[in-house]
Amino acid sequence: MGGFWHRFARNRSAVLGLAILAIVLLMAAAAPLLYPGSPFALAGRPLSGPFGEFLFGTDTLGRNVAAGIAHGARTSLLIGLISTAVAVLLGVLIGGVAGYYGGRVDDLLMRLTEIFQTIPSFVFAIVLVAVMSPSVHSTVIAIAVVSWPGVARLARGEFLSMRRREFVQSCVSLGMGDLRIMFRQILPNCLSPIIVTASLLVATAILIESGLAFLGLGDPNVMSWGFQVGAGRTVLRSAWWICTFPGIAILLTVLAINLVGEGLNDALNPRLRSA
Amino acid sequence: MPGVSGTGCSTQDFDVRRLRFIARRLLQAVPTILLIVVINFLLLHLAPGDAADVLAGEAGSATPEYMAALRARFGLDQPLYVQLFVYLKNILSLDLGYSFRHNQPVLTLILDRLGPTLLLMATTLVLSVSIGVLLGLLAATGLRTWRDNIISVLALVSYATPLFWLGLMLIIIFSIQLDWLPTSGMETIGAFYEGWDRVADIARHLVLPAVTLSLFYLAVYTRLMRAAMLEQAGMDYVTTARAKGLTERRITFGHVLRNALLPVITVAGIQTGGLIGGSVVVETIFGWPGLGLLAFQSLFARDLNLLFGIFFLSACLVVVVNVIVDLIYALLDPRIEIA
Amino acid sequence: MLKAAFTALARVRFAILSAILLALAAPAQAQKPGGTLIMMVQPEPPTLASYLSTSGPIGQVAAKIYDGLLEYDLDLKPQPSLAESWQVAPDGLSVTFKLRQGVKFHDGKPFTSADVKHSVLEVLKKVHPRGPGTFRAVTEIETPDAQTAVFKLSEPAPYMLRALSGYESPMLPKHIFESVDPRQNPKADTPIGTGPFRFVEWQKGQYIRLDKNRDYWKQGRPYLDRIVARFVPDASTRTAAMEKGEVHFAAFDAIPFVDVKRLQTLPHIATTTQGYEFINSVTMMEINTKKAPLDKKEVRQAIAYAIDRKFIIDNIWYGFGRPSTGPLNADFAKAGFYTADVRRYDVPDRVAIANKLLDDAGVKRGADGTRFKMTLDLIPYGEQWQRMGEYVKQALAQVGIDVSLRYEDVAGFLRRVYTNYDFDMTANFLYGLADPVIGVHRQYTTDQIRQGTVFVNSTRYSNPKVDDLLKRATTENDPAKRAALYFDFQKTVVEDSPIVWVFDMQFVNIYNKKFHDLVVSPLGVYSSFDRAWME
Repeated sequence: MGGFWHRFARNRSAVLGLAILAIVLLMAAAAPLLYPGSPFALAGRPLSGPFGEFLFGTDTLGRNVAAGIAHGARTSLLIGLISTAVAVLLGVLIGGVAGYYGGRVDDLLMRLTEIFQTIPSFVFAIVLVAVMSPSVHSTVIAIAVVSWPGVARLARGEFLSMRRREFVQSCVSLGMGDLRIMFRQILPNCLSPIIVTASLLVATAILIESGLAFLGLGDPNVMSWGFQVGAGRTVLRSAWWICTFPGIAILLTVLAINLVGEGLNDALNPRLRSA
Repeated sequence: MPGVSGTGCSTQDFDVRRLRFIARRLLQAVPTILLIVVINFLLLHLAPGDAADVLAGEAGSATPEYMAALRARFGLDQPLYVQLFVYLKNILSLDLGYSFRHNQPVLTLILDRLGPTLLLMATTLVLSVSIGVLLGLLAATGLRTWRDNIISVLALVSYATPLFWLGLMLIIIFSIQLDWLPTSGMETIGAFYEGWDRVADIARHLVLPAVTLSLFYLAVYTRLMRAAMLEQAGMDYVTTARAKGLTERRITFGHVLRNALLPVITVAGIQTGGLIGGSVVVETIFGWPGLGLLAFQSLFARDLNLLFGIFFLSACLVVVVNVIVDLIYALLDPRIEIA
Repeated sequence: MLKAAFTALARVRFAILSAILLALAAPAQAQKPGGTLIMMVQPEPPTLASYLSTSGPIGQVAAKIYDGLLEYDLDLKPQPSLAESWQVAPDGLSVTFKLRQGVKFHDGKPFTSADVKHSVLEVLKKVHPRGPGTFRAVTEIETPDAQTAVFKLSEPAPYMLRALSGYESPMLPKHIFESVDPRQNPKADTPIGTGPFRFVEWQKGQYIRLDKNRDYWKQGRPYLDRIVARFVPDASTRTAAMEKGEVHFAAFDAIPFVDVKRLQTLPHIATTTQGYEFINSVTMMEINTKKAPLDKKEVRQAIAYAIDRKFIIDNIWYGFGRPSTGPLNADFAKAGFYTADVRRYDVPDRVAIANKLLDDAGVKRGADGTRFKMTLDLIPYGEQWQRMGEYVKQALAQVGIDVSLRYEDVAGFLRRVYTNYDFDMTANFLYGLADPVIGVHRQYTTDQIRQGTVFVNSTRYSNPKVDDLLKRATTENDPAKRAALYFDFQKTVVEDSPIVWVFDMQFVNIYNKKFHDLVVSPLGVYSSFDRAWME
């Protein structure tokens, strides 16, 4: 473990990413303390500029943008993390099994994957949200449903290629169980692209959420960064701060998650250890 | 030794195998696509309200009798399984049906938008894959130098920027402030250019949406390529090749690159499969007459025949692309079998 | 105060009217033929069948192609169009229209009284969404000769003469509509009318092109060579296109109100709030009067008191609007129907009154300060409605009502509100149109509780007194008596508060200053643009 931290800490941008992420998490946790009450509350004069009475100004209705960012962090992170967790779990399981066993199993599972992949993903997400009526739940489900096939295909490709490798073959000849080979031998060896993909997915999920909110399909009762950007978009040219600060929040968080993902990749990758 | 003839025979074998593989995959796809149609059909019939509601809402008013007449005309008064059966029967005879909202066959509507969609999406694909692979390669070969850092940071930032924000900014900068490019649309409306003037006009309109969309995908490919290159660089065969005295150049371009392209091809395949879906957000911002926007609008109009039609064609494309991706996989990595 | 504002408004109107008269008096001096007008139409219309659907975008394009029997000036007075003159019989039971000679459809066939008869009786009265109301009294149309059409009425219909424009009641070619079901006319999207512009092509997703009708019956008109209706789905991009001069005209909310403020400061852009006098749109919240505790009048009144109308207008519609006092848009004052002498909900101590009303009605606060929970359904026509919902949620929290918001798509919203009645309260808007009979009655009478029909009485409000008042107002030919009936109606219904009227919408027409005489009718963008010209 110490070795891992050492390797991770060597990557300065990864540490920076982790620091940003920690701040965002802290902000999400402390939101009710920092800004008690509803972030939808009309806090002051509408369209007050930033760095005055309100740190990031107020929006068109006079809501505190900073309070929205703090409370919105919870929603955005929650949606990003849960939907990614579901998508990766499903994707690795289905893709891994398909790639490892090949043959009929592969055919069947890949056809299942294809079914979900053949529908244009963002449009499909919109369809799911529209059918289920916009809410946090429907957003999470929609994002997970459109995200897992990509992971599955990636995992399948990796497992398929690893399956033929000498070290896997020798494990098979040693009589090692399938599950053990898959999760002990193969998975760690193709973890880095999956981790990179997962970090991209969290980021993508946050971006998809903001895209849905941009199109007016967010949960109208829950504060999120996507909601803020969407709501501030029309006044972008006269009140830049309303959608700029949540936009920066999205950008920084996505950036931080990615940096951490890369750091993990470098630190975890067994073949980079000697390098 | 049967070496010579044996090689010839196996190449032939390989070709036959490949053809069989393609045929089998395409055949397999038929039930997949039908299943997709069924799933979408059932899913969308869960949505509240129907096309008659929307038409009545837009019309400002409509009597229940008129709505009933509309539903009868659209076939919405039939039980769901009958509607599904009729639709499947039509699909099997390659009839995509009729859009009652637009008063046009679905196929005509889709073909109208196919050109602009492919233009935008293919431009994006070519731009982002070629530049992305190149940048990823540059970053990986100069690991942890300023070159790598700049490329990685730029890729990250452009990946992390919401598309609609970026599109909006580009419009403000390049068409309003600098007045270099048009704000939206695919052609100058009211000019009615012809010949090369028209081509140039469309090209000018294409720049901003294509760049907006490319920046996002470009970041994906750059990062993927870089990660894959690094991954491959640590492989045993690289060490072996190095021990054999091959130059770094030979190793990179002869061995590493080929393997590192696999994940890139996977993602490019996914992106290609999404071509027909277009991009709802970019098409919305730039008023590009693509299929993504059409699908979006038809969902909210409950113009389900049209929406199914787009999904169906998109599904067909994905199937074809997946076969091609598998073939390329086999070509790049001989360890992967096709059979 | 309000009166002063109206006087000022009237003065402005008078000034503009004199300017127009002046311009008419000195023709051929300024107006130049030629030029292409690119107008923003939002969203893209599904069809061009304006006789079948009153959807805004359809009318904006189709009104250039189809003429009506009459036109209207900015004083709301009918003017000759396809009908050169008209005569209402003293008993009010027939109207005789004398049609213009030598008018031709775009395909060269002559326009005659047979076309009028077919348009009204076979198409508009049967399939137009408002046609059955507009022509409810018309029992027969006699056509003694090609240039005369006599409308026979079962009862006087004073409202009908306000609904004969090319937008509201287009005159269609009988030879194209004769042998087909008008709902399925294959020519619907390649329309043929008598109007100043003829249909040329429709590039789906991009534009509709209309070219000058060179054989138009008005000598020397239209001035413009071409009108192109352009569709841009994104609001910010529409603003950018307008700002850049790529588009010359936009109406209703095609340009977000916040951008209108900014565009007004640009040298090449002008705006006017004229051209909506026949629209009379009111933003409102319909309340489900059958659902407890909203079935109590006091609870509904409390909600009406709790809303700060000024806040909504200023911060969500950027000042474009005027607080409503009741079901009639204050622009109906011009016709004499409007009164502000009703229970007023915009008083200084309104929140205290609201709380007291709720307490007295027995809807007490719980331990957490909440009296009851309800859902507000927002009409999905853009983000202002979301902002309005968010504001209402905050405002009602002050009086102890816990509101959650629901934002479904159009099909879901309409099905929920007008078919399933599965709602507590909506945020919505309806057009009052040229006459209360056409646009207002539908929300208040008992016979308008029509499950499955959109934009009618969704609150299921029913009051015999209101039914009677409106029935009499429909056929009353004496303007003063008719006004008195409407005054009584407003007083009664405002007291009952089945709907919270929030504000009279004030739309804006935005245009490039290169163009003149675009807005010359109370129908604004729904008029034919035959007088518009480019510098």
